[in-house]
Amino acid sequence: MFRHLLILALGTGSTPALHAQDKPTPKLDDKAIVVPIELLPSRHFVVLVKLNDKGPYRLILDTGAPLTIINSKVAKEAGLTKKAGGGGGILGLLGGGVDQIQVGKMQVGDVVAEKSGAVVMDHPTVQAISDAFEKESGPIAGIIGFPFFARFAMTVDYQKKEVTFKPNGYKPGDYMQDLMASMMKIEEKNKPRVVSPAGLWGFAVEKEKSDEAEGVTVKTIFADGAAAKGGLKVGDRVLTIDGRWTDSPGDTILAASLIKPSKAVAVSVKRDGKEVKLTITPTTGN
Amino acid sequence: MRWVFILGGLAAAMVASPGFAADPAPKIKPADSTSEVPYRLTDTKHVLVRVKLNGQGPFNFILDTGAPAVFIPNKVAKKIGLKLDDKGWGEFDKFAIEGGLVVDKARTRVEDLFQLEGMNGMGMAGVELHGVIGYNVLAQFRITYDFTADKLQWVHLKDFEPPVVKPIGKGGSGGGLDMMGNVMKMMAGLMGVKPNFDIAPTGFLGLEYEEKKDGLYAKSVLKGSPADKGGIIAGDKIESIKNSSIDDASDLKKALAKAAVGDSLKFTVLRDKEAKTLTVELGKGL
Repeated sequence: MFRHLLILALGTGSTPALHAQDKPTPKLDDKAIVVPIELLPSRHFVVLVKLNDKGPYRLILDTGAPLTIINSKVAKEAGLTKKAGGGGGILGLLGGGVDQIQVGKMQVGDVVAEKSGAVVMDHPTVQAISDAFEKESGPIAGIIGFPFFARFAMTVDYQKKEVTFKPNGYKPGDYMQDLMASMMKIEEKNKPRVVSPAGLWGFAVEKEKSDEAEGVTVKTIFADGAAAKGGLKVGDRVLTIDGRWTDSPGDTILAASLIKPSKAVAVSVKRDGKEVKLTITPTTGN
Repeated sequence: MRWVFILGGLAAAMVASPGFAADPAPKIKPADSTSEVPYRLTDTKHVLVRVKLNGQGPFNFILDTGAPAVFIPNKVAKKIGLKLDDKGWGEFDKFAIEGGLVVDKARTRVEDLFQLEGMNGMGMAGVELHGVIGYNVLAQFRITYDFTADKLQWVHLKDFEPPVVKPIGKGGSGGGLDMMGNVMKMMAGLMGVKPNFDIAPTGFLGLEYEEKKDGLYAKSVLKGSPADKGGIIAGDKIESIKNSSIDDASDLKKALAKAAVGDSLKFTVLRDKEAKTLTVELGKGL
């Protein structure tokens, strides 16, 4: 266990900026597929999953799970083996207990994902939930996490007790590989995160430390810039950009880092005590 | 590999919590029936939304269908002056989700979750995490998660009272997972990790550029901006910054990523077939 923790501690996933999205491939035309869910008394929800055509097994679908987890019993039954190439990346260093695998065919209801990453692990909490409800509805074999559901536009509806999946071309990446890459960057954790606006707006904001009211104040407007063209003025209090709160200069930069050039977005400002809605289209630049 | 806990582990936290089944569903007052909720993915692939609690914040929350309720740590509860009932529940006067959605009478558990403490201690998520939004709020909405889009879609489910959560019963609190938070904090100390969650904006140029076949060109320069003061004019071909050659916009962004407000950068530009060396002192702005 201690070794697990050490690796865990090293794996401080760091990327240059928080991304709202990966590089999406073009929109797919696939139809949405509806999958029924079973709501446990604990209000986790369970979906039926086939692994390489074995099963179905009952797994909890969890938006808070960065990994898909399959218990060792079911992994063995479904013939899931360690990832080719030996050792399974970081997990290979860990010794026994957890194996990184790739499920050739993972099928949730009628939704199929090829080559979906997972780990084989007997998670104590999953086991506890499984034990609690096994008599009524059967055992739980693991958790469906981000590597599966991120490939789809996923809609969760507790009223209809269903989840809808529509392929969206998103590539979840290799969580383990990302962790490995970030192991080299521990020192970056101790520094502020460098964030760059994605486009050129043409204004600057300020906020005193003692100023705790919402928003930031426009200090400078550059003539002919996108902000000037959108009607932003010096002295305006910027409240939101594209629906994101701008309560600090850092927040403002972060919001701007997520908006691609040429995208027209709503900017909400307070001017002379009134809220004014502006539209600003950042240009390509920095 | 215990950090996968973030979902299932939370359920375990609920197992021993008395009075949980008695929680009434919160009443929702959406701005309109569909809300666009801005989100980010953390470095740990968690879906992060920001929330203002009783007018304070914003605080960073993970959306977690694996958690039975909203959870906040004692630190946050204290900061916003939240009063708890004798069963350990608190109710927010106002639970405002970024994007304009307000959940009235949202209730929360107050517990120092080891999962969040551990991740924060190591700075794993790349952002400080303050809490978790679980079933008692999530189930009130039909939520679409699509990581190729920059907003989540939340549709309020009218005429729907989500069934209350039933505790699993005694035991099953997760095989000693609860020590994880302290262990990870200790590890962070040993490894010299003191996570810094601040944001450092890159320096501002005020330069609109365009990529052409043979390189990157200044398309326009904002009057009075650092690029203008440094002598860059529209039509200049950007050849290098700090002696690193610039072929396209991503090269320029890379050069800027290491440059802070106030840094002076040496630019080489090609103007009328003549190379010029210019010095630009980066400013504040976007």
